[in-house]
Amino acid sequence: MSDHQSQAGYLDPEVLQKIGDLELIAREVVEGLRVGSHRSQLRGFSTEFAHHRQYAPGDALRTLDWRVYGRTDRYYTKLYEAETNFDCHLLMDASASMSYASGKVSKLEYAKFLAASLAYVVLKQRDSVGISIFDSEVRAYQPPRSSMSVILQIEKLLRDIKPVPRTSLAKQLHDVALMMKRRSFVVVISDLLSDVDDILAGLERLRFDGHNVVVLHTLDPYELEFPFQGAWCFEGLESEEPLTTQAERIREDYLTSFNAFVEAIRNGCLACQVDYTTVDTSRALDEVLSEFFHKRQNTLGGPAAGARG
Amino acid sequence: MTFLNPLILFGVLGIGLPILAHLINRQQIRRTDWAAMQFLNRSVRVRSRQIRLRDILLLLLRCLALLLLVLALARPASDKDDGFNLPGEQRAGVIIAVDGSFSMAHGDENATRFERAVEKVKVISEQVKRGDPVSLVLLGGEHRVVLRNVAYDADRFAKVLAELKPTPESLDVNSIPQRLVTLVQDMDAPQKEVYLVTDTQSRDWGNVSVPTIDAIRSLAELAAVFLVPVTGSDDNLAVTGLDLVSGTLRNGAVARYRATVHNFGQKPAADVEVRCRVEGVQIDSKRIAMIPPGTSQTVSLFVPFYNAGPTRITAEITGDKLANDDVRHVVAVVRDTVAVLCIDGSGGPVSQLVLAGLLARADSGTRAGNGIEEDEGYQVDTVQWPSVPEKPFDAYDVVILADVPEITPQQSEALSDFVRQGNGLIWFAGENVKASQWNQVSDSAGRALLPARIGSVVDASDDLGVGKPLSPTLPDHAICRPLRSLPEDLLNETRFLKRMQVELADASVPVLSLAGTNAPLLLEHSVGRGHVCMFTTSAHTAWNNMALTPVFPMLLQQVVTYMVGREFEQPRIVGDSLSLFYVDQPDASDAVFDTPSKKTISVPVSEYRSQYLAMLEKSEESGFYTARVSVQAPGMPIAVNVDTRESDVACVDQKELRESLQETGVTVSADEAGLMADINMARTGRSYWRLFMISALCLLVAESFFADRLQGRRQSNKDATSSMSLKQENA
Repeated sequence: MSDHQSQAGYLDPEVLQKIGDLELIAREVVEGLRVGSHRSQLRGFSTEFAHHRQYAPGDALRTLDWRVYGRTDRYYTKLYEAETNFDCHLLMDASASMSYASGKVSKLEYAKFLAASLAYVVLKQRDSVGISIFDSEVRAYQPPRSSMSVILQIEKLLRDIKPVPRTSLAKQLHDVALMMKRRSFVVVISDLLSDVDDILAGLERLRFDGHNVVVLHTLDPYELEFPFQGAWCFEGLESEEPLTTQAERIREDYLTSFNAFVEAIRNGCLACQVDYTTVDTSRALDEVLSEFFHKRQNTLGGPAAGARG
Repeated sequence: MTFLNPLILFGVLGIGLPILAHLINRQQIRRTDWAAMQFLNRSVRVRSRQIRLRDILLLLLRCLALLLLVLALARPASDKDDGFNLPGEQRAGVIIAVDGSFSMAHGDENATRFERAVEKVKVISEQVKRGDPVSLVLLGGEHRVVLRNVAYDADRFAKVLAELKPTPESLDVNSIPQRLVTLVQDMDAPQKEVYLVTDTQSRDWGNVSVPTIDAIRSLAELAAVFLVPVTGSDDNLAVTGLDLVSGTLRNGAVARYRATVHNFGQKPAADVEVRCRVEGVQIDSKRIAMIPPGTSQTVSLFVPFYNAGPTRITAEITGDKLANDDVRHVVAVVRDTVAVLCIDGSGGPVSQLVLAGLLARADSGTRAGNGIEEDEGYQVDTVQWPSVPEKPFDAYDVVILADVPEITPQQSEALSDFVRQGNGLIWFAGENVKASQWNQVSDSAGRALLPARIGSVVDASDDLGVGKPLSPTLPDHAICRPLRSLPEDLLNETRFLKRMQVELADASVPVLSLAGTNAPLLLEHSVGRGHVCMFTTSAHTAWNNMALTPVFPMLLQQVVTYMVGREFEQPRIVGDSLSLFYVDQPDASDAVFDTPSKKTISVPVSEYRSQYLAMLEKSEESGFYTARVSVQAPGMPIAVNVDTRESDVACVDQKELRESLQETGVTVSADEAGLMADINMARTGRSYWRLFMISALCLLVAESFFADRLQGRRQSNKDATSSMSLKQENA
């Protein structure tokens, strides 16, 4: 952990951006993190031995340890730790609004690093990672795989996509839900700049299919704080009409509306048992991930706890 | 419309500043991509248009306010008065200068010129509005500013005007324009007017000098100048002189004074009575049958002296229209005796002749023995050079050096100190005089004792061996006055065979000279408070027959009388300084001057050139001042008279006056109606600076209010937005 903290500067999103190699970025970010294994709460019969217990009527005979019987004349049953077949599906928003950057790293860029890091963590555990990229529609779908090539696939998919304005998030999530065949751990990385009801409808759709859903609400620090001073012309990234105004005069209004929006999302996620986390793109990636994992306490596969700020 | 500060108009360029700031702000709008537009849209989607509109409106308000501010500072003034005046708004700054010279006291038509001038001032003041700046000046030898740039208040102005009185001074025309220019420059008003109320005496305004004309023109460039004449008749008699002609100022003696009365009018004056008063008591009176216009007549007034000490003598006439110049004052310092020391270098004959000359009334003289001769008024000590007198020089009033070959530098220094203290020295040439020795002593001294350097003895006789006579042309010197009454034959009989050549010093005055050659026979100059008279000839009969003629005793006694006179006897003119000298430091630190109107003025005694001096810088009244070292000490009267040049009260013709002032821009307003018309024609309407200033302030307040109102509207929008969001959440 201390090694990780010493690399905090190195893991700044702007520095990572210069590295270019997404796998390397993911490894650098994840390395040093305490990654808890996503053990199943069920101890069953599997390949990993746990301990013995005395035979009880009803136990399957195939679980009897005959060697112990031979040594002790007593029936003991072997218990194994059950391991789940874990699929993680990363849903990345690549709409035009994600291209906003107050600094050098856009929200999309940051989301890419975030997705790669998460994928690295999952793949290191020999689990599978799938990728979906959407804007106004689902642009790419990559089924879960357990190969490191998935990380490279992220970059390739993003490179081929030209961002277009998003109209509805619910539709895209619905489409993705149809593509996923197993219950999965679904991570939605998006700025969610859409209608609140539409967003919550999409998330509920995922939850309906039994997916464990995590929302990483990726936002630029300027969107969170609106630190503009003086006259600014705001040109919408999703074909909105430009607005020229005195920024400090509308700041209060903006923050009120924006915080109300975020709060509505957060409450909606809580209501439908979707894990919610706000991600500030000015923060270091490892810091964000560390905090995220710490909050989840156990494993990525643990039960959805709800919204986290 | 005119601007009093037109250069301020360049400040209009400052209007570019808000415009520039506006443009710069426009150019400084920064652009950015923005994702969360939905939140901006909901709050201020229509605000940007409002801001633009508001900015343009505010820009216009600021520009207009700045424009009005600049215009206000430029002090705009209009030629028209629209009758609407803001409270406290000044229209015209008025400077009224009233001639306060004593000629304004000339009375006719039941009022003096000054009283009529005051009436004119009242007419002018009726055109002044309350609050307008007003200055009131009383003109004279020194111009007194009675009111300086005060807000006009009719009651206060009338009160001040009622207290104005003419002064005994004469008018100094040349300094008037400069004084008024100063007042005009001090005055802050859109329109400045100067009213000069004067009797336009011919002597002042008949031939105005070119520099004064230029100064008046400069004044007229700064303000509208009106000359308001207050004319009157030119009838005036004045006593222009009262001089001692003959006689000695001794106790018991009788002196003859000459009073001169001048008729300044155009009509002859008949039966003019001249009264002579001594210490307020009339002792003589003479009548002048006729004084033709423009001429002077003199009368002799015989003044007996019954007491020693300073004596106040006045000569006055009555029944004149101008009283200030009807009286003349003079002071005579009467002595009990005059002590004379005669140092004779000729061996005896010259001192005898001098003694005979001094004691011309030989029957009254007595020989007291030991070389001391006395009569009623003279005590004459005679010593033969090189003997030294037993008494110090201070014991004598006059020292006569007759044919003295030489003196030592110490004696020269002692004699010089003797004269400086106010005594007299008479020097006679002679056969024994060593010119080089005298010149050497004079050169070594700081200030020459004698009024001339001595040369060689020259023969003044003609071909027939007869000396040249006295020049009949006698200057108006106090020493010559008795000689002027002598017949010319008597002067012609006084012949001079020898004289010494002299080289006059700078401050020397020739009193008598030889006829034909103008070679000086008698020179005079002042040393300190005393006088030195130098005869370039001897009293010896080998040099001339002067001692044998009546001229010599008259001349010698007059010289002695002139020398023993103190400076207090010299009459002063109103405005002169009066001084009192002390040889020793007086006990009191302040001296006191009592004015003729019985006011007491204290002045400090200061040390001046080894003496002590108390000086009253300016005499303001005519009459007898009394100077004394303390209130209890006996006073020394000083006569102060008016300047009789002001007595010529003839006024310049108005047509001539207009012509002479034509190019100066001065308006000559004759009668009251003309004055009113001139004022109304020249007066500008009003100044708009207050109006503009108030408008500018109103605009700035409106701009501030407008900005606040927009802010309030924005706040309302915010509240509306919040409530809308709340409704959405509730929904």
